[in-house]
Amino acid sequence: MDKELKAENTKPILISRPVEPLKIQTDKLNAWFGNNHVLKDVSLRIKENHVTAIIGPSGCGKSTLIRCMNRMHELVPQAKVSGAVLLDDANVYAKGVDPVSVRRKIGMVFQKPNPFPTMSVYDNVAAGLKLNGERDHARLDRAVKRSLDLAFLWEEVKHELDKSGSSLSGGQQQRLCIARALAVEPEVLLMDEPCSALDPIATAKIEELITNLKDQYTVVIVTHNMQQAARVSDYTAFLYLGQLIEYGETTNLFENPTEELTERYLTGKFG
Amino acid sequence: MARLMDLGLEKLRNMVLDMAELSENTVSTAIDAYVQGKDLRERIYNWSEELRMLQDEVSELAVEIIARYQPVASDLRFVKSCMEVAYGFSRFGRYAHDISDVFGIFGDLSTCDKTAIERVGSQAKEMIRLSIKAFTERNVEMASKLPKMDDVVDDAYLDFVKRSATSPDSDTKCMISGTLILRYLERIADHATYVGESVAYIVSGERAARK
Repeated sequence: MDKELKAENTKPILISRPVEPLKIQTDKLNAWFGNNHVLKDVSLRIKENHVTAIIGPSGCGKSTLIRCMNRMHELVPQAKVSGAVLLDDANVYAKGVDPVSVRRKIGMVFQKPNPFPTMSVYDNVAAGLKLNGERDHARLDRAVKRSLDLAFLWEEVKHELDKSGSSLSGGQQQRLCIARALAVEPEVLLMDEPCSALDPIATAKIEELITNLKDQYTVVIVTHNMQQAARVSDYTAFLYLGQLIEYGETTNLFENPTEELTERYLTGKFG
Repeated sequence: MARLMDLGLEKLRNMVLDMAELSENTVSTAIDAYVQGKDLRERIYNWSEELRMLQDEVSELAVEIIARYQPVASDLRFVKSCMEVAYGFSRFGRYAHDISDVFGIFGDLSTCDKTAIERVGSQAKEMIRLSIKAFTERNVEMASKLPKMDDVVDDAYLDFVKRSATSPDSDTKCMISGTLILRYLERIADHATYVGESVAYIVSGERAARK
């Protein structure tokens, strides 16, 4: 795989061509679960320090796409991938690349908040760092505070760091998971429907957080909620039956989609 | 399967079409009244007020649709355009009222040459008719004829102003009243053109550059 994607290899359906640096590029990405071909030649360019939303009907491959980005897809038995995912210039699927190091750089937050149930708030956030061998208490303290701050959670839990992570509210648990992901200082944060289990207040906090995070991270969010995609993202990709149908600036895509399929999906005429 | 939002969009469309009919009639009546020397100020004022209230109702319904259904893509463009078009129709009413008001300011204008106003008035009426038809049928080709028609109105207005300013025989009352009415007709033609631009925006998302 070439270090830089050549223009002729990628056919992004961009309404406006980005000028800012790209953080992740997928090139002819294909994914399977056994014989089920779930992603078909997806070539997508994700801009650094922006929020990109992936939308599409159930089963279109949204979650699989982001799970391919940090090599989580291959954890499923009989799952298979072809094509390339470049993080900056490096193919994360190149020979010899350790998937764990990829996942350290590309963190993930899931649909259902999943703090480690037996761990305290503090330990939940520090877990990744400890796993990486960090033992210095002062450094751990700083990292935990920084991550909880970034996740808009510090003020709410600073006097209860010893409390169990599972005792927090659903919205707080999700922000704890975001803090946990941020603690290992990833470059990209993938979010798979992070608000689908949350009430509107908790959702609003996460959305504000996402908008805030893009100053330091590249964020890719999968969402079923089109209004959420419209609110938080700078770019939106529409997937249908495993294919990238349209990709462009969120405002353009929601106001004036170029593809008939996108128009029909957005206006609720199918899906 | 019909969407819940479709009920709201249909209602919005019908309200805008009601406004279209009333605004066309209001402008037409105001022009004819001037040409025939009739004082229909009160009737035209009432219609103009009705148009203004209808515009408020269109805006309220559009906001309600946005709040309830968060329309996107062509639905969003349609709702946004309905608000703009309703504003245009409301302006038709306002300019018709201004035309009829000229009678109140100047009184009897029977000695004035009304040829230019009759000609431009017919053009403006035709533009309104065409813009409404294009909007109703979402006919971009029909709407695309409006800018050229607007140029004709603009030229006629400027020509009248220049002639009035340079002609030694100009009757001041006729010159000023004629200039005012042609100015109102020129603005009506602009708004008819904007209605046509909305048609292109609804259908293709293309925005025309405003002059």
